[in-house]
Amino acid sequence: MATNSLATTVRGFFLVELVRGFAMTLRYMFRPRATINYPFEKGPISPRFRGEHALRRYANGEERCIACKLCEAVCPAQAITIEAEPREDGSRRTTRYDIDMTKCIYCGLCQEACPVDAIVEGPNFEFAVETREELYYDKAKLLANGDRWEAALAHNLAADAPYR
Amino acid sequence: MAEISDLFWAIPTGLRLTIEIVFTVLVLLGCFAYVTYAERKVLGAIQLRQGPITVGPFGLLQPIADGLKLLSKETIIPAGANRVLFVLAPMVMLTLALISWAVIPFSANAVFANINVGVLYLFAVSSLGVYGVIMAGWSSNSKYSFLGAMRSAAQMVSYEVSMGLVIVTQLLIVGSLNLTEIVEHRSPVWLWILQLPMLVIFFISALAETNRAPFDLPEGESELVGGFNTEYSSMTFALFFIAEYLNMILMSAITAVLFLGGYLPPFGLMIAPLTWIPGILWFALKVAFLLFVFIWVRGTVPRYRYDQLMRLGWKIFLPFSLIWVLVIAGTLMATGMLPVRS
Amino acid sequence: MPKLKIDNVEIEVEAGTSILQAAEQLGVEVPRFCYHERMSVPANCRMCLVELKGSPKPVASCAMPCGDNMEVFTDSDLTRKARKGVMEMLLINHPLDCPICDQGGECDLQDQALGYGFDRGRFAENKRAVQDKYMGPLIKTIMTRCIHCTRCIRFCDEIAGVSALGAMGRSEHMEIGTYIEAAIGSELSGNLADVCPVGALTHKPYAYTARPWELRKTDSIDVMDAVGSNIRVDARGAEVMRVLPRLNEDVNEEWLADKSRWAVDGLTKRRLDRPFARKDGKLQPVSWSDAVALAGAKLKQAGAKSAAIVGDLVDAESILALKDLMTGLGSSKLECRQSGEKFDPSQRAGWLFNPTIAGLEQADVVLIVGSNPRWEAPLIDARLRKRERALGLKVAVIGPKPNLTYPVEHLGTGADVLQAIADGTHPFAQVLKSAQRPVLLLGSGATERDDGLAVHALARRAAEANGVVKDGWNGFAFLHRAAARVGALELGFAQRDGDLETLYRGCESGEIELVYLLGADEIDTSRLGRAFVIYQGHHGDVGAHRADLILAGAAWTEKHGTYVNTEGRAQLARQASFPPGEAREDWKILRAVSEPAGATLPYDTLGAVRKRLSLQAACFANVDRVTPASWASFGRDGAVAATPFVLPIDNYYMTDPVSRASPTMAACVREILEGDTEEAKKKTGTHG
Repeated sequence: MATNSLATTVRGFFLVELVRGFAMTLRYMFRPRATINYPFEKGPISPRFRGEHALRRYANGEERCIACKLCEAVCPAQAITIEAEPREDGSRRTTRYDIDMTKCIYCGLCQEACPVDAIVEGPNFEFAVETREELYYDKAKLLANGDRWEAALAHNLAADAPYR
Repeated sequence: MAEISDLFWAIPTGLRLTIEIVFTVLVLLGCFAYVTYAERKVLGAIQLRQGPITVGPFGLLQPIADGLKLLSKETIIPAGANRVLFVLAPMVMLTLALISWAVIPFSANAVFANINVGVLYLFAVSSLGVYGVIMAGWSSNSKYSFLGAMRSAAQMVSYEVSMGLVIVTQLLIVGSLNLTEIVEHRSPVWLWILQLPMLVIFFISALAETNRAPFDLPEGESELVGGFNTEYSSMTFALFFIAEYLNMILMSAITAVLFLGGYLPPFGLMIAPLTWIPGILWFALKVAFLLFVFIWVRGTVPRYRYDQLMRLGWKIFLPFSLIWVLVIAGTLMATGMLPVRS
Repeated sequence: MPKLKIDNVEIEVEAGTSILQAAEQLGVEVPRFCYHERMSVPANCRMCLVELKGSPKPVASCAMPCGDNMEVFTDSDLTRKARKGVMEMLLINHPLDCPICDQGGECDLQDQALGYGFDRGRFAENKRAVQDKYMGPLIKTIMTRCIHCTRCIRFCDEIAGVSALGAMGRSEHMEIGTYIEAAIGSELSGNLADVCPVGALTHKPYAYTARPWELRKTDSIDVMDAVGSNIRVDARGAEVMRVLPRLNEDVNEEWLADKSRWAVDGLTKRRLDRPFARKDGKLQPVSWSDAVALAGAKLKQAGAKSAAIVGDLVDAESILALKDLMTGLGSSKLECRQSGEKFDPSQRAGWLFNPTIAGLEQADVVLIVGSNPRWEAPLIDARLRKRERALGLKVAVIGPKPNLTYPVEHLGTGADVLQAIADGTHPFAQVLKSAQRPVLLLGSGATERDDGLAVHALARRAAEANGVVKDGWNGFAFLHRAAARVGALELGFAQRDGDLETLYRGCESGEIELVYLLGADEIDTSRLGRAFVIYQGHHGDVGAHRADLILAGAAWTEKHGTYVNTEGRAQLARQASFPPGEAREDWKILRAVSEPAGATLPYDTLGAVRKRLSLQAACFANVDRVTPASWASFGRDGAVAATPFVLPIDNYYMTDPVSRASPTMAACVREILEGDTEEAKKKTGTHG
């Protein structure tokens, strides 16, 4: 103990730990940077990334959503609002599909609940807007998102499929 | 060349001094700007980040952008503030940060006022800095500002004591209060090594004196929002900001002058290639190195708790520097190196 | 009394009880699809298999009567294995389209698959697909989902009494169908979707619109007829999405008539959502303060020269408020018999369904006078059929012969037949006299003729003379058609010495200067003369067209109200949604109007109104139970014309402002009554 406390005192007196700390930060200064130049460079994203929502269509242009309302039921933030009625051809479709993106917590339960892979959270995370109103997404906006990101969405779903 | 320099010396003294002062202030402001840039770059490097890169090449125009941003903002004076003191405080701070430079020898003979009580002058001016802080904190009429100011004042006063004692040891060795003489003084290497702990204490006290990390409690964001300058915005804030960094540069300069041989080549090596380099460049290099250490410390050491800060100042630095005054004095007495003047 | 053990718990049950029923008595749940406690037992789904000690294989508990010393295990390994097998077989041909199925979330198959389903299918072959059938505007079919429990067939045959459905083909080719493509001609067809354990039969008007978990469920009372069926109103947001029956053995059992179920979509159409006043011959929107002030001023001006008529859908609270307001003004010209009935309102026994609805199950002879119970009260008709099927029931009819769901003897069409029975000269008088519990069912329509008061008295005499009313049994059953009628009569909202005709004459002669219509839409507005008409109600119908001032009220799903059914059973309906726009609860409007009218009503809260209600008539203090009436003389004896009785309802699906506004009811009229379907239109030429 005595030697220990002596050693501690000596170490303290000569600021050994402080010097060690300084040496470490100095070493770190010459390491490669861990960050990227964000708006110009982008990091890789997992196929499971949960970004902006989209409503997908089938290859023939038919919307996938069948208004089962499971996403609305499972949504823990109650961000989804759906209204449905039979379409002219008698199929079950939504007349309204709204997501309040300000309520959404991006948990991904909606895409887990969807039996037809209609509602998905895509790879897009750059959808900042200037007013809150723009974040109240309606069906048209979500379908437009789906059309815009379909290639990436399909690729991500295929990539993740083996693990489901 | 000779003609130009002659021309320069031909200008009346008052006007010449004014030009010199304005020039010096402009250079210092430029230094301030790029110290902030360097700080962000170095901290970035330590934290494996890039630091500013967007404005200008390597982000070199970032300080200018920041300055423009601060200029274009609205100056807000809080409703309950004492308007006169509120506006006066940042001016006091900046003025005090600038007038210290009058006695700093940038190079042999390049000093505005080569007075024989230079050290005393520096001490006096830096003590006045507390007034600026207290004025700012009190006049803001905000509890955060006031608490920050109280802490700041307490901290500056505490560390000035041990700083003074450290300087006393150096004065014992040199035997003069004139800064040029201190620079020019030669002491043996063993004495220099004996003086090394004092350099460390002085530098750490300088950190505390300038409210820098790890002693940046006055602006402890987690408890005080922004310290004594919480209520300041726009240019009033910018003045505080400039003053803080100028103080940093000044402290580095004082350290360089007192301990590192000022404008002379390092370690007293008066050998050929080193002596070719002008003294002002040596001085600048030494100051730059010390500034780097300032930033390096900030990137390495976490913030102290207030009681730890006070304990360090009063219970470790003060007794230690007191003892060291005795040690140095005794050694000088024993070796007969005490500079005695009649 | 066999004694048996179920899951090691001993129980003694009545002979003939099935194991499933015995288990239910113990609180042990046995899964089932085909078994339904109100229908016969086919035992064809096999889901209720249980292990029976000593039996080599599991037995279907729904069809196995309890025996002495049986030992039954409902949760043994064998049972579970058997049920899992059954479930796997059922799911072989059941499409897994739960996400688009309206039954999703309230599906028996879904629930039980959770307990007994396998986590993957082992059936690699193609599933079968069945073409959907047309079953009318109320039932949507997706026959691929059918698991052939035959509940729907049995419901039609046994309860609704229309043999519309049947199974065709065998085994995998078995299909449920309507034989001939036609809408199901029953007033109880909505119940088919309720009894269907899967999503094969669902409600067409409700198709794809909501999920059960989104709905706010409120217990309420139906007002489409005078049965007072117990209902559950399912609303989402402000809109009532559907109405489901609630179990009440004394009233509607677990069934509900189609109009009661689907007229609710009329609640969003033709609504009065703000007050209107007639200016320059046109109705124009006004503010509530102006409307109330105008109504008050006009009432004050008219004073005792004002009259009030109450409609069919009004709650007792509002009727009381209107009565108190009119009494405060000094007027006694109050009338609730807005269809022109002329029965005597003085004795309760004279206008109540005295034997009670559940009491019909003890009846052995029923004489129906001037009524079509199938359209006036489908659930009372279903009770009669239930009794007829269970133990036989002799039913005779005087009046136009209605198309009833059980055999009837048609005695004649005119009041002279009733006269003969009262005099004992008709042979049916003997049938009545020899019956244990005879019932004389007098339709309210039978009194809608000039000699109505005499018909009422004649019916009383026929009942008294033939033992319909005797000790321990009152078989005089007066069948109302309107939910508000008995409540109004209990509150005395009818003229002792007059009827609607008296009011008409008063209006025409100018004796009546103001008429307050509280939801009265079945009247002849052309006979209101020059009187100032205030209409308070929820739909822009007959009354609102004639009105000079409209006060927008709430429909029955939008307010707390008390309704008294034809038995004299007061029941509480609870608020399920809110009135649209600026419309307000009716009694509150009356309370507001009473102040400028100078007859301020003495209550400000619903509690205070109900308290006053219970002081006014005993039945309001005796909620949910029948308050029996003591027998007394009613009606005025007089000559009765031999003219035939006229049935009051010629269109079951449209009898009140709500059902007239309902698109679903319009579709029912088109497709069920007129047979005008898309499918029928297609079948031309070679289709014959």
